[in-house]
Amino acid sequence: MPLKPRTRPVPFYFGSADRRLFGCFHEPPDKGGPASAVLICQPVGHEYINSHRALRQLALGLTEAGFPVLRFDYFGCGDSLGDADQGSITRWIEDISTAVSELRTRSGMFRVSVVGLRLGATLAAFAGSLCEDFDTLVLWEPIVKGKDYLDELIALDNEMLRFRPKPKRLKNVHAHIEILGFPLSRMLQAQLEELDLTKIEGRPARRVLVMRTAPMDRQNGLKAHLIETRTQVEDRELRAPEIWLPTQDGSLLVPAQVLQSLVSWVRASS
Amino acid sequence: MKEEAVQFGTPGSLVGIVTSPTLGDERKTGVVLLNPGIVHRVGPGRIYVKIARALAAQGFSVLRFDFSGIGDSLVRLDNRPFEESSVDEACAAMTFLQGTRGIKSFILVGGCSGAVASLETTWVDSRSRAAILINFPARADEAQTSYRHDRHYYWKHALLSLTSWRKLLTGQSNYQKISEALTQGFKHKFIDGKIASGSDQRLRAMMRELVDQGVHLTFICSKGDPLLKDLREAGGGDLRWLCAHGKVACDVIPSDHTFSSLYDQERLVDAILKRANIAALSSEQQADAGGISSTRVEVVLQQGQSVR
Repeated sequence: MPLKPRTRPVPFYFGSADRRLFGCFHEPPDKGGPASAVLICQPVGHEYINSHRALRQLALGLTEAGFPVLRFDYFGCGDSLGDADQGSITRWIEDISTAVSELRTRSGMFRVSVVGLRLGATLAAFAGSLCEDFDTLVLWEPIVKGKDYLDELIALDNEMLRFRPKPKRLKNVHAHIEILGFPLSRMLQAQLEELDLTKIEGRPARRVLVMRTAPMDRQNGLKAHLIETRTQVEDRELRAPEIWLPTQDGSLLVPAQVLQSLVSWVRASS
Repeated sequence: MKEEAVQFGTPGSLVGIVTSPTLGDERKTGVVLLNPGIVHRVGPGRIYVKIARALAAQGFSVLRFDFSGIGDSLVRLDNRPFEESSVDEACAAMTFLQGTRGIKSFILVGGCSGAVASLETTWVDSRSRAAILINFPARADEAQTSYRHDRHYYWKHALLSLTSWRKLLTGQSNYQKISEALTQGFKHKFIDGKIASGSDQRLRAMMRELVDQGVHLTFICSKGDPLLKDLREAGGGDLRWLCAHGKVACDVIPSDHTFSSLYDQERLVDAILKRANIAALSSEQQADAGGISSTRVEVVLQQGQSVR
């Protein structure tokens, strides 16, 4: 059963005029909760659409646990300004920093925990390693190697082509490849090919939880590397649907057990 | 173009984004986009954002919002069925734009279940002067829909797939599912498909009535979607006649249900812009001539038909 929020989330835009980002701020119903706020970093492309419902439920769960929460859309994603082919890894990492500042202002709290899903987790880890001031960080099925992620996306797009008429391609096809209705620019493609979470240099957060809902081999070497950055790392594995993938009947899944586990960990670690 | 996050409805529980045209370029007609299924207001492939921005570039104020329980909107606590609450909330969206932008006539656009909500709202609220119905599910019975999708898959994809034939010949296929899909297919083709159900007759009556009142109706259909066949059967001779006489438009785009390629998305946006411009021009001319009836409900009731 979906959570019924006791306070109304506030949708708003923030950031500079040429890079306006959409956010949704959830205020906890009761004061005197944990002394930190939570930022949720969503995935991109079709994964963003498919996981939106679950991440909103996560925000409600965290709010009920007493945390102020901000969900937001990166530039060129969701309701934020920009077109889908204007996004880049560097720009999205900057967006996370902008969102953290906004969250601090709105919540009045300096300590920030971050929960990221898929590419959102990876971007959050890079953002955290640059500023080195995230309190806790949840990496929910993070993209460890960008090259593997690209291969997965292309394989999925080819698989989905079996079930639909072969689409015509746009004329400016050289500018991007296309994944399930989202353009992936050549620049983003090149950045993803270089992306490697096991090369992260700074400490992404004081404590990190790696949450896996899929087979372990995708996270190869991540935990060991994070420990090298002086991070306290914990990993959990829960069998749950891969909510970021399209479903046959178009339903959007909410993995209640995973969400409960994440909320408990963030509460216990803050 | 400007985008603004808004909350409206009772009590401000619905969340949406208003995309406004450049100051001075505003038209008198607004557009409301209704959720396609349970996907939030961004739409599959972010198509609703593209549609809203393209319409705003042509002077329309556009509100795309989430029905209660979808996206960022709150869950309703009154247990009203979606078929009713969606109409109320679409009306609330028009009221919001009317109150904040002074817009009095609207075009409702929706995909799939959003198309149903668009038509039903247009039926009861005379502020809606046009409805653009994308992949309208004319026969939405869930069990039958499942059979139709299976049948569509077997005919259009599995029949031509080496992998599927290999599975069939090596005992790996779901024979019961195939058998049910084939049986239902024959039953539909030779028995059920020829009979107009109560909902088919209602659809035909609604189309005729709305057209008589000067409402622009456009069906935009994906050629690769089984819903196109359903619409043709449900609309029957009435739909064919209305289309042939230019009273209802039916644009067919070679695509899948969710317009999941960028090329298809461009064709969809072009089709919506074209139909929205025609409808707005007509609506604005009618309004200038003072020709819009006060409420559609009154008109329908005068003719002795129940609205709900």
